Amino acid sequence: MFLSKDQIGALVFLTLSLVYGYYAGQISMLPGDEFEPFNARSLPTALAALGGLFSFLLLIGSSLSPVRREQGVQLKGYDFALVAKLLVLIVLFGLALKWIGFLLSTFLFLIGGYWLLGERRPKTLLLASLPFALVIWFVLAQLLDIYLAPGALFTLLSVGG
Amino acid sequence: MLDGILTGLGTAVMPFNLMMVVVGCFAGTFIGMLPGLGPISAVALMIPITYGLDPSSGIILMAGVYYGAVFGGSTSSILINAPGCASTVVTAFDGYPLAQQNKAGKALALAAYSSFCGGTIGAIILLFAAPALASVSLSFQSADYFALMLLGLTAVAAFSGKGQVLKALIMTVFGLMIATVGTDVMSGTTRYTFGAVDLIDGVSFLLLAMATFALAEVVMTVLRGQHKEAEPEMNMAALGSMKLSRDEVKEVAPTMARSSVFGFLVGVLPGAGATIASFLAYGLERNLASAKEKLKFGKGALRGLAAPESANNAASTGSFVPLLTLGIPGSGTTAIMLGALIAYGIQPGPRLFVDNPDVFWSVIISMYFGNLVLLILNLPLIPYISRLLVIPRPILIPLILFFSITGVYLVSFNSFDIQMMVVITVIAIFLKLLEFPMAPMLLGFILGGIMEKNLSRSLTLSDGSFSFLWDRPLTLGITVIAVLLLVLPMLRSLISARRTAGPEVAVSEGEG
Repeated sequence: MFLSKDQIGALVFLTLSLVYGYYAGQISMLPGDEFEPFNARSLPTALAALGGLFSFLLLIGSSLSPVRREQGVQLKGYDFALVAKLLVLIVLFGLALKWIGFLLSTFLFLIGGYWLLGERRPKTLLLASLPFALVIWFVLAQLLDIYLAPGALFTLLSVGG
Repeated sequence: MLDGILTGLGTAVMPFNLMMVVVGCFAGTFIGMLPGLGPISAVALMIPITYGLDPSSGIILMAGVYYGAVFGGSTSSILINAPGCASTVVTAFDGYPLAQQNKAGKALALAAYSSFCGGTIGAIILLFAAPALASVSLSFQSADYFALMLLGLTAVAAFSGKGQVLKALIMTVFGLMIATVGTDVMSGTTRYTFGAVDLIDGVSFLLLAMATFALAEVVMTVLRGQHKEAEPEMNMAALGSMKLSRDEVKEVAPTMARSSVFGFLVGVLPGAGATIASFLAYGLERNLASAKEKLKFGKGALRGLAAPESANNAASTGSFVPLLTLGIPGSGTTAIMLGALIAYGIQPGPRLFVDNPDVFWSVIISMYFGNLVLLILNLPLIPYISRLLVIPRPILIPLILFFSITGVYLVSFNSFDIQMMVVITVIAIFLKLLEFPMAPMLLGFILGGIMEKNLSRSLTLSDGSFSFLWDRPLTLGITVIAVLLLVLPMLRSLISARRTAGPEVAVSEGEG
């Protein structure tokens, strides 16, 4: 079955509203709060209803419109693989910050980023990352006096050693 | 009022704040020039930096970046026909043809003069309109605030363009839903945390803004393959003279004046913004032109360049009126500034004028300084700033990604935030591919907490009855406008969905 952009979006938000609405009923309340005119569940319940209504209207509207019905998602020409690699690199950067510290993870993240986007010259890779990482580290740690943890791995090694 | 102006002037002329204006204008111009990154992304990238500053300096920096980014967008529209943001799309209509006629220097100068004129007239009107509106709104009660927030949210949806209204409304609700994650401040119970300790404080505004407007925008350029495009080659020697002749000044002066006033008025409307103002001003100017002059539009007409440039800057200034006086942002960019102010513990709205006059007035006065900086410093330096555009994209993109990520990390020092940013970026990309606008979501998210508090207070005071919405004429008036803004476009959208046979053009999300 062919689904247009609007129909996909409407179905996604309709599902989200239903799930959100279900969990609105699970929000714990203080005793007696259920008799208050406004409690922790009030807004979520209203939002679930509104979200559901708007998505339903979008679904109906896009199904009735012959033009919008034909507007499918065009994924041709999009480089999803590269984006996925970049996002994985960001996740790894987040993990690296904890384990190997700011300076080293910044250096590696930038090299990884340049490499993924097609830069292969070793000199450029090094010159565009190492001085930059050092300057940023110096500004943050030395000039602005922001504490940047050295990385759990080094701490472990120094304790172990 | 004079005391306030003097306080603001005192704050704005402090050397550090002057430096913030200059730095903001430069940084904004550079970021605004990069295709795909507009004022929203530029201002979002500045949030982490402003966290270390005092509120006045932070907002002054953001205002400088905002102006700079709009000006930078115009520069890339004129020089390489690649508008940096939606509000400068119209600038390219006549600006780029001028550049092709070796009059790029003249076009850039005219854009700067027009922006200056728009900003100046806007700042002057703001100087009088903001305090007047603020003093009126001092009598507002929580019911009025709730109605105002409702108006702000529905207006953003109503102005989002044909075929986008329902999507904008859905995104607004989505933003409000995200705002409910975390601890409910009124009852203290947790909502939608699913046991995750990191979600107890809710989703951070900074994280959401950076993920949707900085990270997602940059990743989208990679997704579209724009990073492979060759860096634009600009022949700086071919810029030509930057001087305007007396006749040319005479020709464009009335255009600048009327487009500025017009742009300001459009900018004041919540939800309408610089993009709509620039399109409308261009249309207005074309309609006013004689039949002979009309033919020049699109081929390098000076009036066709002056109109949108004056209007978009005046509208940027105008969008500060609802932000500073009512606490309702007029555009996506001012929504980010609202979030930043709230993070500082400052509640924009009528009380801002009374409680933090230094912030209120220094922002207004700095806007004027921002315009001066753009004219005096940025314009002569354009040939040099635009050289930054030739930094290869494979180098530039990871650097921007790095700034977006570390901007969030350096505030919380929690690597969970980085993983969360990736998740939000993926969702944002998915929604962008489905053409859902992002600005309403951010607006809903920012206003969500305050809106819930005001609704709760009003309902408690009226003993659970919604009659507070029509008890007072002021609340009733605002509510009626909000409802009309909500219902009319939906009806129009449904009716046109039934009738339409021709293609529908969906205007992408506003000014951003």
